[in-house]
Amino acid sequence: MSICSKIAFLTLALAASLAAQETALDASNSVKIDLPSDAPLNLISTTMGDSRATSRGGAIVLDLHMGLTLRNSGGRHIRGVTLLITAQEFAPGGKGSVARPSIDVPPGENFTLPVDIRLVRPVRETAGPLVRVQLDGVLFDDLSFYGPNKLNSQRALTFWEVEAQRDRAYFRHALQAKGQPGLQQEILASIARQSDRPQLDVSLSRNGRAVGSIVGSAVPGTDRMAQFAFLTLPDAPVEPLEGWAMISGNEARSPQIEVLNKSARPVRYVEVGWLVKDKQGHEYLAGSVPASESVMVLPAGQHARLRQDTALKFTRAGRPIEIDSMTAYVSQVEFADGKVWVPSRRDLDSSPLLRVTAPSPEEQRLADIYSKKGLAALVTELNRY
Amino acid sequence: MTHPREHDLALLAGGEAGPVRRFLLGRHVRNCADCHRRISEYHEMRDHLAEIELPPDLAGANWNFLAAEMRANIRLGLEAGACVRTTQIPRRRNLRPAVAFACVLLLAGAAELLRDARPHRPATANSAPVLQSTVSGVELRDGPSSLTLLNHHGITVNQTVSARGDMEARYIDSDSGSVTINNVYLQ
Repeated sequence: MSICSKIAFLTLALAASLAAQETALDASNSVKIDLPSDAPLNLISTTMGDSRATSRGGAIVLDLHMGLTLRNSGGRHIRGVTLLITAQEFAPGGKGSVARPSIDVPPGENFTLPVDIRLVRPVRETAGPLVRVQLDGVLFDDLSFYGPNKLNSQRALTFWEVEAQRDRAYFRHALQAKGQPGLQQEILASIARQSDRPQLDVSLSRNGRAVGSIVGSAVPGTDRMAQFAFLTLPDAPVEPLEGWAMISGNEARSPQIEVLNKSARPVRYVEVGWLVKDKQGHEYLAGSVPASESVMVLPAGQHARLRQDTALKFTRAGRPIEIDSMTAYVSQVEFADGKVWVPSRRDLDSSPLLRVTAPSPEEQRLADIYSKKGLAALVTELNRY
Repeated sequence: MTHPREHDLALLAGGEAGPVRRFLLGRHVRNCADCHRRISEYHEMRDHLAEIELPPDLAGANWNFLAAEMRANIRLGLEAGACVRTTQIPRRRNLRPAVAFACVLLLAGAAELLRDARPHRPATANSAPVLQSTVSGVELRDGPSSLTLLNHHGITVNQTVSARGDMEARYIDSDSGSVTINNVYLQ
């Protein structure tokens, strides 16, 4: 065999090997999409884009880039949708959700929801679809809800919708009170806050210490019980009384916060926002401490304790953030009748919360419209509904 | 009975054993017929040697002078040897120990590398499912398996975590301009 023949043979062998390692996925076999027959949504089409399965050593990597085109087949405007994603074969117990809040889809209109997933697992034979997509909930413009609600999507979609109504009203008021220059000033301030907002990378584990994939992400430290300081929001129906968490370096574990329902109505869900300050005085939104039970009842004037048995480890740009102090504030309350409370813009403005906390999905969307399409498009959008 | 050594008997016969040695050997020889006979043989040999005529050049030799000269030569030789020993002698460097040591180090290093590369059970702390924010999205890792909800087109996101055990990433879909919220749950 000549040298040229050998090179050609090796090239063909390499190409065959690569072809065996990477294959395009067949949508009909790899993904199962379940929509109830009585759902107010119809699946119009599914695209798989450049979804691929790749073999790497002893593992298989599945990159799914789907686009689900859905149609509002009901009679009301849809304000939000949540899909439940399960991949039980790949990560035991692993599930996720893809939600699209802050939308306004009239009856008969289509919209597309992207679902981008990466699954890594050891190579083994499996039967059936790799991923299952189910409808978990649909929220309508009158805040009514449809769906199995396995992920408490009704509550999440309702909170996002109430925040959206609050922020749309705020920017509309700025437009009415100060004209387009006033609206422009407000939206530019929002964009500046979003770009300046410090964010943390967090790893979270249950029943023990959090672990991180970043080498050197741990700060050696001794355990200490740290108490929360509280930001009191005047209009909040629930007041935090006392709370603490175990702190060790850049890790916080097992937060507990006692709250008092100071309203006249029973409450079935409370969530407390959690801020941490590092040794240099920088303050970050660490996360939230929700009620332990998905359904709780806290009568008027009664106490309850929010308790979670998880460990969170904080880093920023790969470096551990050593926790110096913690602050908490009531961020969400759901009453027994399904009505919800979120901090008002005045509450946010009169505290460091507006600077530290994430903007609502609607504020994020309005800022994006201004950035890409300009002030006129933002005004048109605010006048739509 | 233990007999004295041959050279002790020879020294006794020649009258060159020390006083204590001579006493002890003498007592043994008086009671031992064999050793007494060996002493007699040594005496006969000495008498015989004395009767032998020496060569002419040694006939008038001064034996004490010869002994002193020999002693001086021996000392001279010893001192010369000492001088030679203090001189640095360039020696050919022996690389074998270094090569052997390097081989041992190489073997130990390879063993360590192979030990780390071998698939093994992760530490207890790492075996629990972990939820974390990454550049590409929110990842749930459980041993060798992982589930990641990716940020569509890698757009900047706002990520928040709930101590209940879930993590959320929000991003603007560049196609539709709508906000999409991915959430991954730690079970």
